[in-house]
Amino acid sequence: MDYNLRYQTKQKFISRLWILAISVMIVFLPGHGTSRASDPSPTQVNSLQELVDRFDSSSCRECHEQIFTQWEKSHHSRSLMGINDYIFIASYLKKGPLAIPSGEKATKKNFPCFKCHFPQIEFATDSVAAEIAKAALDNDKVTVRKLNIGCLVCHREKSVVHGRPDMNAIYGNNDIKDHPETPVRKSPLLKNSLMCGQCHGLGPNLEFETPVQCATLYGSYLHAYIPSGGTETCQQCHMPGGDHYMPPNFNNRTELSERLRNSLPMQVRALAYSFQPKEEDIRPMVVVNTKIFSKAGHRIPDG
Amino acid sequence: MVLDVTANASDGKQIFHTSKIYMPQATDSRSNQMVLGPDKKLGLIRDTSIQPFAPKEETIEIPLPQGVTEVDLEVNLSYQPRPGDIYPIHNIKKHVSLDPK
Repeated sequence: MDYNLRYQTKQKFISRLWILAISVMIVFLPGHGTSRASDPSPTQVNSLQELVDRFDSSSCRECHEQIFTQWEKSHHSRSLMGINDYIFIASYLKKGPLAIPSGEKATKKNFPCFKCHFPQIEFATDSVAAEIAKAALDNDKVTVRKLNIGCLVCHREKSVVHGRPDMNAIYGNNDIKDHPETPVRKSPLLKNSLMCGQCHGLGPNLEFETPVQCATLYGSYLHAYIPSGGTETCQQCHMPGGDHYMPPNFNNRTELSERLRNSLPMQVRALAYSFQPKEEDIRPMVVVNTKIFSKAGHRIPDG
Repeated sequence: MVLDVTANASDGKQIFHTSKIYMPQATDSRSNQMVLGPDKKLGLIRDTSIQPFAPKEETIEIPLPQGVTEVDLEVNLSYQPRPGDIYPIHNIKKHVSLDPK
């Protein structure tokens, strides 16, 4: 009996040792955790509502009413909607390389656009992608409108590129330790063009199974504007005085026309005369010369 | 971005029209066929968009039909994210004549 008891105890000890060893191996296995180093993986949520709640920034409005109102009018507040609140992702789900037979079949792989249009998807499972696909295909604007580039996307997720942001802080232009609810940490990135460049594009996004190409503006800024001697930042033109309206607003047609008129002055010259390249060959003509100047920090148009 | 140049004779009849389209142009990098839409585009094959610090200049010669000595020119620049969806930017009109002033 004694021998059997000692044998069983020893076997239990060995089993527990194995479990411990395997657990340690899993934790330190390469690729475990977030795609960026050092921080533990944030739990992925299984429902769209949980994801919306996690990034809810309605409490910001209580003190930052003016900024919130500016943002509400911006395209950042409806990042899955195109001109006139058209749900653009629906067209890609219906036809083309990202198409699916029904919303339930969608996974995160169907949404490379979310890299910039809804980066919060990083914290969600494929079932949330399926919920979004269904809402998009059903033209459910109330639901899709909840998915946006809210305060926490820029003021936390995108505020730090060297490592992961502190999930218990938000980021601003200055340290504010006694900020209500969450301390504010200074991020120099917020006033830098790289902040916007994280989403406003270098060109092809080759990291996806189905590569996509959307915005190229930051690439144009880096490789055309800066080499030509440009010195302004994205924020200086698109967020003057910290305005979170961030034009252009493609839904305000008059305002956009005016903005383009100011950014692209045009000069037209015209001459009527008779050209005579040789004897008895007289060609009455008008010569029109057009010249469009650009004050922008990137190509126009993009896309 | 579309530049339209139109010339009308003094009787209102159109004698000339041309358009220039300014935009980055992409293929899917598997053929030389231009494609539209971010789900298909991959790389640029040509770029006629308006670049920072680089004025975009066009010289357009309009031959005048016999008997036409005056024309009304209209130059329009517009942003057209989709065909037919027009955001006007500039509309410049000029009257020119072969006759000396």
